[in-house]
Amino acid sequence: MTKIGLEIHCQLTNLESKLFCSCKANYREFEPNENICPVCAGMPGSLPRLNQEAVKKATMIAMALNCSTPEKIAFFRKNYFYPDLPKNFQITQLNIYGDTSVGGSGTISVGDKKIRITRIQLEEDPGRLIYEGSSSKNQITLVDYNRAGTPLVEIVTEPDFETPKEVRDFLNILSDLLKNLGVADPSLEGAMRADANVSTRGGNKVEIKNIGSFHDLEKAAHFEITRQESLHDRDIPIVQETRHWDDRRKITVSSRSKEEDLDYRYFLEGDIPWVKINPEIRTELKSKMPESISSKKERYVSKYQIPEQVADVLSSDKFYSDLFEEAHTESNAKEVANIITTELMGLEDTREKREASKLSATHLKDLSDAIQTGKVSRNSSKNALHEILKTGKSVSQIISELDLGNVSDESELLTIIDKIISDESQAVEQAKSNPQTINFLVGKVMQATKGKADPTLTLNLLKKQIGI
Amino acid sequence: MVAIEEIEHVSKLMKIDVEDHSEYLEKVQTMISYFDILDSAGVESEEISMPEIPIEQLRNDEYIPFDEKLIEKMNHYKGTYVRAPKM
Amino acid sequence: MNLKISALEFVEEVKSGNITVEEFTAKTIERIDQVDDKLHAFLSVNNDAVDQARSIDKKIKSGESVGACYGMPISIKDNVCIKNSKTTCASKMLENFVAPYDATVISKLKKQDAILIGKVNMDEFAMGLSTEFSAFGPSKNPWNTEYVPGGSSGGSAVSVSAFECVASLGSDTGGSVRNPASFCSTVGYKPTYGLVSRYGLISYANSIEQIGPLTRTVKDTAFILNLIAGIDPNDNTTIDNKNEDYLEGIESGIEGKKIGIITDMIGDGIDPEVLTATKEAISKLEGLGAVCEEVSLDMVKYSVAAYYTITATEAGSNLARYDNLRYGYDFPVEGYEFNSYISKARKNLGPEVTRRMIIGGFVPSAGHTGKYFLKSMKVKSKLTKEINEVFKKFDLLIAPTVPIQPFKIGGKINDPVSLFLIDINTATANLTGKPAISIPFKIVNGLPIGIQLLANSMNDKLLLKAAYALEQTVTLPEVPI
Repeated sequence: MTKIGLEIHCQLTNLESKLFCSCKANYREFEPNENICPVCAGMPGSLPRLNQEAVKKATMIAMALNCSTPEKIAFFRKNYFYPDLPKNFQITQLNIYGDTSVGGSGTISVGDKKIRITRIQLEEDPGRLIYEGSSSKNQITLVDYNRAGTPLVEIVTEPDFETPKEVRDFLNILSDLLKNLGVADPSLEGAMRADANVSTRGGNKVEIKNIGSFHDLEKAAHFEITRQESLHDRDIPIVQETRHWDDRRKITVSSRSKEEDLDYRYFLEGDIPWVKINPEIRTELKSKMPESISSKKERYVSKYQIPEQVADVLSSDKFYSDLFEEAHTESNAKEVANIITTELMGLEDTREKREASKLSATHLKDLSDAIQTGKVSRNSSKNALHEILKTGKSVSQIISELDLGNVSDESELLTIIDKIISDESQAVEQAKSNPQTINFLVGKVMQATKGKADPTLTLNLLKKQIGI
Repeated sequence: MVAIEEIEHVSKLMKIDVEDHSEYLEKVQTMISYFDILDSAGVESEEISMPEIPIEQLRNDEYIPFDEKLIEKMNHYKGTYVRAPKM
Repeated sequence: MNLKISALEFVEEVKSGNITVEEFTAKTIERIDQVDDKLHAFLSVNNDAVDQARSIDKKIKSGESVGACYGMPISIKDNVCIKNSKTTCASKMLENFVAPYDATVISKLKKQDAILIGKVNMDEFAMGLSTEFSAFGPSKNPWNTEYVPGGSSGGSAVSVSAFECVASLGSDTGGSVRNPASFCSTVGYKPTYGLVSRYGLISYANSIEQIGPLTRTVKDTAFILNLIAGIDPNDNTTIDNKNEDYLEGIESGIEGKKIGIITDMIGDGIDPEVLTATKEAISKLEGLGAVCEEVSLDMVKYSVAAYYTITATEAGSNLARYDNLRYGYDFPVEGYEFNSYISKARKNLGPEVTRRMIIGGFVPSAGHTGKYFLKSMKVKSKLTKEINEVFKKFDLLIAPTVPIQPFKIGGKINDPVSLFLIDINTATANLTGKPAISIPFKIVNGLPIGIQLLANSMNDKLLLKAAYALEQTVTLPEVPI
């Protein structure tokens, strides 16, 4: 049997400042070492100043993952030397003196399965290293501390996954959940990273680090399972170790870590008192939490009769479900959901396209209304949507400018219908004997009007003219 | 008793190049042996206590850039990087 | 020009126009030039001091508002950051380190128009109690230069007692302000933990240390404390003291106060002269109307072991950042692998620091933390509980600051355990967060003895009142230098 456990690191990208200083949490826009101060650069004498909002957001994550949240949280030092760590220790959390990390044990559903969360801890991200020089002699490491001190939440799971596919499903659900909570944008480069530990057939646990993306995580887990199984088959014992994912060769490689590196000498961080989060604050945080994805989905289905699959897609995407909430009314909800999931998501399939889009909730509302009142056909609405994204002009303006409005003028339609009846005499005869076949003639009218003929009106007029 | 191997191990862990470990052995041994007195303190059941701060007193989440280019006051290299040995 | 005046007298002299700041500062620098070759209190002297003095004189003359220090020359222990000045911690590792920012206490003193006259000597990274472990050579006791001045804030105590400044800031991790104050016959103060911001104090054992003043009088200490105490957004461990005025009512006496005599601090190993002095102090306090009674703190006998374990552990972590990458001395990284480079670079840490790094790696390591570090943390908790119980019955506690008198330079440096025991009377205040003060009390055989008083957390005002009362009962000879 395969057991996989995860350690997921997620930056709280929606914060303004770092975990222990007022430098910017989003370090991505800076020149190397431009986003640093004495605190995050670990200058002698500087002290950490804990960010209140980071504690609150991390607590919200714990609540959303159904974890216990303690009344007091404590910080610890994890001591090890590495050039990306300006203090050569990391301030993190641990549960050695009772449950003092932001989140205790919890669960999250992935399909029919419940995945157990071991704990959630708030900690600082290290800086970044760039390796330079080709020959071993002139090789050096360049360090950029801009990222050092970025607020990071580590989510540790029990080894409850049995397949790499379950891992991927979980990460997708978690990623949507974090986005929905408004605490992070996991799609930002480096914002969400994961390590996995894998054991097969009751063998030793192997930790895999350095996995760049979720896609690679799945691949790394696959590789590791195969590697371990083939060792089992040959009766070679699995060594308990840490392996690194080699992104280039797509394999895991044993990392020779020396014994002394494993002694982190954890102890309490004296510069940060234990933070008291009293019940009133926790209640307030809970009440401020946005509606969960599952509750949203349920509401979409039961209140608006939106098909389950559409509701699923819509509720798990924070951006589009927010858009839906703003655009919909009781009567057009289904139409709005439909436009978003079948058209809009396809047109805006990259971050760049989404950011460039000029579409507003008003556009969506107007367009759905236009479809429902027969002002524009579903078919033509696609063209309108395309134009809205590009120009941001109003729906009515676009319908008239592009001449997308439905042909609902009776006399205009009659002229076209009469011509088709005379051109397609064979089909007319067929329709008289088999009324189902009238759809062929409706199609001809649509062709002639480039899809703009009001479909109901067209059918009625055709029947009347043919005499059925 | 602290063995010379432990001194070697710990000086490696603490990243200090000690050429002659025996030079430190005696004093470190004396100091650590003195700590054995802790065994008779009878504190096993004691809880560890720490000062506390209510969450409301923590700093607000505000971006305030440091008022100077700190990197210029640090060892820097290739523009604004810090240079470290190869890993 | 008389340099031998207190801080409060200095302010009065300047205010009344009897002296100018420039004269006094120039004279102070002259004094440093004269005596510091012998004493080695200073690691660096502020070259702009006289210019700064002149501009304060100008402000005074023009009637502009002037800060409470009126240009008072204050020396600063070299582990407190002053922007754009060298802050070495008396270590080769930081020999060239220029601080990029001001410590909170420094910003506060600058705002009050203090003149930061220079940076003073200490044991390397504050690890020691004799200033012999300074990488730049020991300081000498002005009462007898063959003797240690105490430590680790030895330079602070020497500079105050030898009139090389009016007051000084030191730091006290296990007695590092009170011990040299006692050895050099100055007042030395360790505030309640959290009363003074540590932002900009280079950490040694951050969970128990505080910055504290060394001054000629108790009132001067109250004066400096008024300027530096209070909550600081840059230090999450600071406490709001509601702008308490520590000078106000300082003369109101201690009639009826209950004072506990800590028996565990006057037992084995105490110098008879120190014991006699302590008894004299007790009877003087009784003469002032206080009620003194013996009290025992069982955990005191474990306090030094706990203190060294905790400080070594925290120091092992606090000093990890000195890897010579971001700042430090000239030693190129090319051709080295990371671990071998920093292990070589860190050889610039002195022998005592290296020893404590080894202990600091040992006692909290996975295999030993239960026996040493965890137990020490529990001793700390239990000692705190004990002393809190005692303070339900007593207003103050008394003990000699140091159980022995100053010893000769080189006399104890090779005997770590006998050095340990010198801390036994001071470490308790650090482990429990309580305020404590050393008051100059007696000169015996030409060397000083200080008496220590302790109070409960945030009772700093009461503590200073009592210290003032005791101070008034003694007249001491002038330092013979």
